[in-house]
Amino acid sequence: MERGLYIAAAGMVAEMVRQDQISNDLANAATPGYKSDQSQQRSFNDLLLQNTKTGETIGKLGQGPLITKTVTDLDPDALKPTQEPLDLAIEGQGYFGVQTSAGVRFTRDGSFQANAQGYLTDQQGNTVLGSDRKPVKINADGTVDTAKVGNFALTGVKKQGDSYFTGTAAGKGTGEIRSGYLESSNVEAGKVMVDMMASLRAFEAGQKAIQTIDGTLQQAAGQVGNLPA
Amino acid sequence: MYTAAAGMAAQQTRIDAVSNDLANVDTTGYKSARLAFRDLVYDSAQGYGAAKAVEIGAGSAATSIGRSSAQGDLQQTGRSLDVALNGPGFIQVKLADGRTGMTRDGNLQVSPDGRLRLSSGQLVDPQITIPQGADDAAIAIKADGTVSYQGRSLGQLKLVDVPAESGLQGGPDNTFVATKASGAIRAANRSTILTQGTLEGSNVDESQAMTDMIEAQRAFQMASKAITTQDQMLEMANQVKK
Repeated sequence: MERGLYIAAAGMVAEMVRQDQISNDLANAATPGYKSDQSQQRSFNDLLLQNTKTGETIGKLGQGPLITKTVTDLDPDALKPTQEPLDLAIEGQGYFGVQTSAGVRFTRDGSFQANAQGYLTDQQGNTVLGSDRKPVKINADGTVDTAKVGNFALTGVKKQGDSYFTGTAAGKGTGEIRSGYLESSNVEAGKVMVDMMASLRAFEAGQKAIQTIDGTLQQAAGQVGNLPA
Repeated sequence: MYTAAAGMAAQQTRIDAVSNDLANVDTTGYKSARLAFRDLVYDSAQGYGAAKAVEIGAGSAATSIGRSSAQGDLQQTGRSLDVALNGPGFIQVKLADGRTGMTRDGNLQVSPDGRLRLSSGQLVDPQITIPQGADDAAIAIKADGTVSYQGRSLGQLKLVDVPAESGLQGGPDNTFVATKASGAIRAANRSTILTQGTLEGSNVDESQAMTDMIEAQRAFQMASKAITTQDQMLEMANQVKK
């Protein structure tokens, strides 16, 4: 059948994936330390069309787009004052280390709290690691020494969810840890809303293309074969 | 669509928390709620028109991580039985059901049988008895909690704390009860002092709360816009064959 139909449909599907990603960014517009995603699209490999009878090459035809990669914007964002002594933020590069049941994970979200043993934990109750990779004790007055909290430089950073990143810790992060601040989400509302509209329009264009091809097919089926009686 | 809906739910929790804070802007010793947000699990979008490396998040969620420990404003009342805590910690009280409770509400009173209690009726723990016919205005309460009348010591208000305040369970009338999550009650840090003749106001920062409210509302609006857009897309998909 008409290849164009499938190409246009592939374009629509790719836009839906992109919308899901945009929704996730918007849902996390207020998540401290959240890093926004960007989808990268590329076209499928081109097909070489040949005339089936003569074997003569006709030319290339694309097969529509495919989302191949998500790029996470890891740039540090502005710090927002909260006045809470257990809210920590890294000004500059680096990640907090957290001991989870699945191993050490990293985060930029410093909404921390105290646990019953008096150690610093993240919002899920996992202990925050000090620079010596041991849990950090909270002072008697309810504050925490930022110098004791670990700041790790990471390579191979990948999002995991629950504000965690995976990666390999390689030395100390260059950023400075501040108490009483949280890092804002780096979702730029304006840009994301525009992306969302652009994606919607691209989707609409795909729909129009399908309708047009369908229209031509209808003519082919209905009018070309319509012999006068 | 569900991703955006999760984001809306998280923002709704925030709006609820801020509303409660604003409602308690005049409650003695009230501590504002602390909320934390996180993104949710990421899953491969393979099979939905994307390569394996593409992962799509499932939105965001809100978690309550206890209450702000910030000091509320001290309000001068001049009443000798009003005490405010300056610094972290609580006054230990005995709840009606026998459990040990904690409070920051220092609006103390003398019960008909002469014992020192909270306005809600919970006795301070250990008990302090005020002599019959004593003039309330002449009762002195020192920074370390020592209660005395005409130079004679009557007892001491016990200042206590727990390792994790976020784990405290709310007891009756502005009191808290220690739980496994909060850790056992221990003596408060020495830097915490009592100030007689004052009450601690709510620590809700109204302008901060209003800003939070606006931010939450906008985030909610954006997430709802994402749902509308996706709905529009589904509608278009349905209209492919008009």
